[in-house]
Amino acid sequence: MIEIINPGLQSIVADNGRYGFADIGVPASSALDGFAYKAVNLLTGHLNSPPVIESIGPMFSLVFHSNMTFAITGAWVDGTIDDRPLTSWQSIKAKKGSILKIKRVLKGFRYYLGFSGIMDLEKIMGSYTTNMECHFGGYGGRPLKKGDTIRFTFIKEISEKSMDSDTIPNMDPPHILRVVDGPEEGFFREDCIGVFFRESYKVSPKSNRTGVTLAGPPVEFKEGVEKSIISEGVLPGTIQIPGDGMPVILLHERTVGGYARLGVIARVDQDLLAHLKPGDDVVFKRLSLGDAEQLWMQRQKKIKNLSKFD
Amino acid sequence: MEYLRYGECGIRIVFGDTIDPAINSRVINYYRHLKSKEITGIIDIVPSFNACLIIFDNTQIEFLRLLNTLRENEAEAVSPIESKPQIHEIPVRYGGEYGPDMGFVSSFTGLSEKEIVHIHASTVYTVYTIGFIPGFPYLGVLDKRLFVPRLTTPRTSVPAGSVGLAQLQTGIYTFESPGGWQIIGRTDMRLFDYNNPPYSLLQTGDRVRFIPV
Repeated sequence: MIEIINPGLQSIVADNGRYGFADIGVPASSALDGFAYKAVNLLTGHLNSPPVIESIGPMFSLVFHSNMTFAITGAWVDGTIDDRPLTSWQSIKAKKGSILKIKRVLKGFRYYLGFSGIMDLEKIMGSYTTNMECHFGGYGGRPLKKGDTIRFTFIKEISEKSMDSDTIPNMDPPHILRVVDGPEEGFFREDCIGVFFRESYKVSPKSNRTGVTLAGPPVEFKEGVEKSIISEGVLPGTIQIPGDGMPVILLHERTVGGYARLGVIARVDQDLLAHLKPGDDVVFKRLSLGDAEQLWMQRQKKIKNLSKFD
Repeated sequence: MEYLRYGECGIRIVFGDTIDPAINSRVINYYRHLKSKEITGIIDIVPSFNACLIIFDNTQIEFLRLLNTLRENEAEAVSPIESKPQIHEIPVRYGGEYGPDMGFVSSFTGLSEKEIVHIHASTVYTVYTIGFIPGFPYLGVLDKRLFVPRLTTPRTSVPAGSVGLAQLQTGIYTFESPGGWQIIGRTDMRLFDYNNPPYSLLQTGDRVRFIPV
């Protein structure tokens, strides 16, 4: 069992997502950094999709009430286990009574905590992940609070190991996000699209787990073009342009949308969206669909090889 | 109909460019056929007013192979399914504390509250699409006399069960959430239950009638 001493800014239970229900408006709500999610599971001995904790901000702390191995991936953190400094992207043994403390986040934004057991939580609609907006899934549909306890099943004995540093993505701003054209790319003024790919944008404090809002040069619509579309299905990573011209990148909490879609973040760069924090600079680079697919396949191959590192 | 690529993992099948019951019924027909096929690599299918989005995993199926499969299935998928639509009756308390925008709707349309309720409750609506939040039905077509704009500033919180109007649509908030529709009433009926399949009482293509209580 673990017990939350301090949930930090926000901690939720997440997994690789809730799929197959977009036709009834249920979004994936998945862990935002898919690679960090996979890596934390590899480090803690899981090849399937167990629940993990996704956290932001400093001050997170918990106490272990059982012996187990844990790991932290995603954002690099400055933390301790029983007052000994710990390293991100590495599995570490904790004993009954051990206290984990995260003092601050060094690089990136969201970090993932995984354990060598499976949290004893209920799957809702096929997934452990939390739908925060509608309060279901995860830990009673809500972020973790001080005093919350989570039991485990099947705690495995595993050895400590670490992730190859060249597989860990860079999370430092400025973030370079590659973009393929979206369905309504033709709605926008060509000079504005030129500026969009040349200038940099800042992540706005209005950003949340539903979408990343950016501030910078507005992307204006061509004369006479409708500023919205008939609502239809949307993909994660879609760059929507509302009437004010400020881009919003959709994450994993919406299934339909009515804003014009300038582009889609290439899948190979989508995990980075988890680490865009208010004030960060973002630069967009245009990419062909073919190149985006190729980069994604290469990345998948690399990740697949990692699962053999046991 | 047109097949259009959307990002690395999406195919949009577009059936028209307007909100039209005939176009939407072709979308729904296509969606039902495709869903029943359970094609490997398709993760989600999102039917909407005039299009169907197919979300696929390109590590399981390549775009061109999926496109071919879709084309092979096309003749069958566009042939109409014979089925009587399911009709749901939803009890609504109109106005007062349950419909905070009834006053605005009345002054904007020039209709009395009684007329608004009568018009709203005398149409059998079609569920054009479900989304924004789980189970939220976009219902149409609303009688033109009830056309109202969305709120200029959306509310930060709209209670679950609220029945709202926006342009030529009406809808029901299945969960408490932020929202910009003009709220004219509320239902106690639970439209989404994440513990019990099929989870959403309403499915795309179903019919809805409001019963004033």
